[in-house]
Amino acid sequence: MTSSGLVLSPTAPLEDVSADEQDLALRLAAADPAAVGAVYDQHHRAVRAFASRLVGDAAAAEDLLHEVFVALPRAIRGYRFESSLRTFLISIAVNHARHHVRAASRRRSAMGRLALEPEGNSQDPEQVQRRKELASLLTRALDTLPLEQRVAFVLCEVEERTSREVAEITGVPEGTVRTRLHHAKKKLREELSQEGLG
Amino acid sequence: MTDDLLKAATRALREESAEPSADGQFTRARVMASLHQGKVRRRTRLAFILPLAACLAAGTAWGTVTGRLPEAFRALSEAVSPSPKPPAPPPKKAPSPLAAPAPAPVATPVLEETPAEVEPEPAVSAKPAPSASFRDADGDLYRLAHEQHFVNHDYGRALTAWEAYLKAAPGGRLATEARYNRAICLLRLGRDAEARQALEPFAAGKMGYRQNEARELLEEISR
Repeated sequence: MTSSGLVLSPTAPLEDVSADEQDLALRLAAADPAAVGAVYDQHHRAVRAFASRLVGDAAAAEDLLHEVFVALPRAIRGYRFESSLRTFLISIAVNHARHHVRAASRRRSAMGRLALEPEGNSQDPEQVQRRKELASLLTRALDTLPLEQRVAFVLCEVEERTSREVAEITGVPEGTVRTRLHHAKKKLREELSQEGLG
Repeated sequence: MTDDLLKAATRALREESAEPSADGQFTRARVMASLHQGKVRRRTRLAFILPLAACLAAGTAWGTVTGRLPEAFRALSEAVSPSPKPPAPPPKKAPSPLAAPAPAPVATPVLEETPAEVEPEPAVSAKPAPSASFRDADGDLYRLAHEQHFVNHDYGRALTAWEAYLKAAPGGRLATEARYNRAICLLRLGRDAEARQALEPFAAGKMGYRQNEARELLEEISR
């Protein structure tokens, strides 16, 4: 245990964690605001991409991103140097996602009912438009999943992470991750076929 | 077919959210501002809580050593209690010629027109050195009442605090001043009948303190 409260396990696999990241983590634990800025600059794109895929809403993703980095100085005390800082940030996002996912899902549902779904940019090529529609379709289907299955699907399928990595992020055994993924895919297939697109 | 669609939709979601966001810098600024505000809030809390905790610890230790902790605690809790206490009975010696037909209390402008010197501001530090009858706890209660009256101008709390002091030290060195200040509080609160009752002994010269001011105040009330 360091003076800053971080747990430095001598047996932890440190090959994924660079010396720079260790230094950053120690500065974060010492409540150095510049360290938060530095971590943000390095990792915000990855965290935003995950947040956006998970909640399916750009504004909600920004809110989740904000929450992750505000929570970081306190959350870093639980960092064990067993995974990269980026993986740790994603795990914070997962822990804070529930409220944002629910809010974004409600918003989508209301907008769908009121036919207020934002229209695609008419200047985009047809392929871009099709991509937007598909992404939107999947996001709506994801709204029907429990959060745990949603997280598993986004991390494994959309972000193409290994089940070991997802197990680290979510703090559950790999077998559980695979089970959640299986159920998620089954439910998503059903949703897509109900949409008449299957 | 559904599998293909799921794969295509998954790929689409991946590509859609991989595009850089224009909000990056804005969110960064939000994060830094939130962290700064959190730090300021924590510092402010500490600035209040630490001195209070130190005072409480010192006071408790003092009370324990002198054996006066229960008494001081009771008096203090009465002084700061938000529930209004019934007015204290007038001093035993006080005549009450005007006590019977009291008009309904109305907010009186009396004190707005009254010269400032009518309301005394006894500086605690200017008082003579405490005697045996003016013990430390009573001094604290007096200071508390004085602060509510002359610093915070919270006459409701000041009244409760003066009464707490008088209860703790009815024959104390500053009891006369406390009674007079209590009467002023009653006036400020528009409780004219009680104020009149409290001022009578002063106006009659029985208290040997602020006789002229008390007479003037009674005349104002009677108008």
